[in-house]
Amino acid sequence: MKKIRYLILALLIAAVLLPGAAFAQAKTIGFSLWTMEYTFFQAVEKGVRDACKDLGYKYIMLDQNAEPVKMVQDINTLVGQKVSGIVITPVDPGAIGPAVEKARKAGIPVVCADIGKSGPVNALLISNNFKGGEMAMQFIDKTLKAKGIKGKKVGVGPVQPQWTYARQRGEGFKAMAKKLGYTVASELVVNPPDAQGGYDTMQQMMSAVPDLVGVFYCSGREAVGAANAIKAAEKDIIVVGYNGDPEEIQAMRDGIMAADIAQQPYNIGYDSVKLLKDIFAGKKYEDAVVPVDVAFLTPDTIDKFQADYEAKMNR
Amino acid sequence: MILKQHSARVIIANQWDRFGLPFLLAVLIAVFAGLSESFRTVYNLISNLQFAAMIGIGAIGMAFCIMSGDFDISVGSMSALVGVLGASLVPRFGGVVGVLVTILLATALGFLNGVFVTKLKIPAFITTLGMMYIYRSAAYIYTTNTPVYIKDPFWLFLGNGVVLGVPFAIILMVFCFAVGIYLLRKTPFGRYVVAVGTNKTAARLSGINVDGIKLAVFTMVGLFVGIASVVTAANLGSVNPGMTGQGYEFQLITAVVLGGTALSGGNGNLLGAFFAAMIVTYLKNGLGMKQVNSYWQFVAFGLVLIFAVGVNRLKFTLLGMRET
Repeated sequence: MKKIRYLILALLIAAVLLPGAAFAQAKTIGFSLWTMEYTFFQAVEKGVRDACKDLGYKYIMLDQNAEPVKMVQDINTLVGQKVSGIVITPVDPGAIGPAVEKARKAGIPVVCADIGKSGPVNALLISNNFKGGEMAMQFIDKTLKAKGIKGKKVGVGPVQPQWTYARQRGEGFKAMAKKLGYTVASELVVNPPDAQGGYDTMQQMMSAVPDLVGVFYCSGREAVGAANAIKAAEKDIIVVGYNGDPEEIQAMRDGIMAADIAQQPYNIGYDSVKLLKDIFAGKKYEDAVVPVDVAFLTPDTIDKFQADYEAKMNR
Repeated sequence: MILKQHSARVIIANQWDRFGLPFLLAVLIAVFAGLSESFRTVYNLISNLQFAAMIGIGAIGMAFCIMSGDFDISVGSMSALVGVLGASLVPRFGGVVGVLVTILLATALGFLNGVFVTKLKIPAFITTLGMMYIYRSAAYIYTTNTPVYIKDPFWLFLGNGVVLGVPFAIILMVFCFAVGIYLLRKTPFGRYVVAVGTNKTAARLSGINVDGIKLAVFTMVGLFVGIASVVTAANLGSVNPGMTGQGYEFQLITAVVLGGTALSGGNGNLLGAFFAAMIVTYLKNGLGMKQVNSYWQFVAFGLVLIFAVGVNRLKFTLLGMRET
């Protein structure tokens, strides 16, 4: 029995005391990612990885597996590894505060790539949501004028109000509508946030405002649901969505959705590392929000957008 | 000869019972330490032990519950509800009140689960499944689905503080396990829990207040979930009504079963749950560090669970017993 005890003890001691190899000289970027399950996050990850390769940094990625506790555990692990900079795409942005504080105390800059932030992060890179909303309204205005439609009533399907950054899509849309002389005649938060929610809210909007001419849904699947509701009601209402997911692209190919604002997750990831490089070079960032450009898609530009995306993902 | 063989089997089985999981943990740590220089740093080993506390502390109550022949799947939602309620009181009443309310409320909710199971005779699975939905929804309704942030230094200390170089969460976990092990091994209560889990009717006929024991066990689940919730909330600096505690019930059940407690009740090993919580935590950490794809990580967890439970079953076969 004693022998077994000694064996266990020896294994543990050996594990802790094994000489640590000297850390390599090159800077290392640690990336803590929400999950690799979704294409959006796969693109963010590819962007971070490619930027590290291009800029000559070592790269470590830890997958949060969509668990807030694992996310914090991983950030602490990266701090323990003494990485040079950390990029986080947090599953729960409210829960990174204490871990980010530890990283900053250890002299490690932290950048959030999308979603949100808390604690003393240097910067958050996120799609320019407000501008995306403005672009949607500008497109509706241009299309209506081209068609000679005089109606001035538009609708918006915003995301849940607590989604601080995504909410700005609707705000940008409303601000531009006001500027261009339109009335936002209907505004219904899409719940549940999926295609069914989009379908239901669109039906309600059409009942409440029969002379609606255009509508902007602040998230992709919801916009596709809304477009299907319009098709079923045989109405002529311009639909613009937001995200750039495959469902939306298919809806545009099918001719039921007019346009889509596409986020550029690869660029969000890539630019996060570039920003860390600036910090290493001495540039100051504290609690900054850095907008990343969104792309505007119409059926005519889908092919080029997809080809560019494929090229980035396969490089 | 037969006697010799028999005693050899018994010795192997008993050795596995005592040293199987610590040995598995030591092998795991040794393997990852050999593979990754970052894994074997003292910082990494201690930092991860801190995260084992969240599962470890919660697993104590769950182990008693499973030993008594029931289980509670409302723990994740309970953790979210008591966390948001407790944390929301901090700005007005301070961190100490927030922490106490979180723990007391969880204890009360555990008691409530117990009342449904014992007095209304609703099976534990149905009761705690229903409560899982109710607690989660209540957390959403109370917060309108927004996270509650914790800035109070006292509360934050409970998850992030260090005492004489040791994270407070680890000290708390060790203390909780000491209390749990004392209750299980040194008090009549521990024996009654095992008796109820082994054979409820026999326990009742022996004069044990079965309902009373079950009520106490569900209340204990609440108490330890409350303590674990405080530590988790401190580590995350916030409580999210939707995300806090998602999948927590399965993490606890995994730790308890991996620790050698039979799902059917009656047989229990608290120290096993302690090691199991560490095995799960270091496995996650080590696989992540070796850049193992998250899908393969889940495969690894599944294999470790099946392996450990399989060996446990083998132990009973060697002892010539049927696992109850």
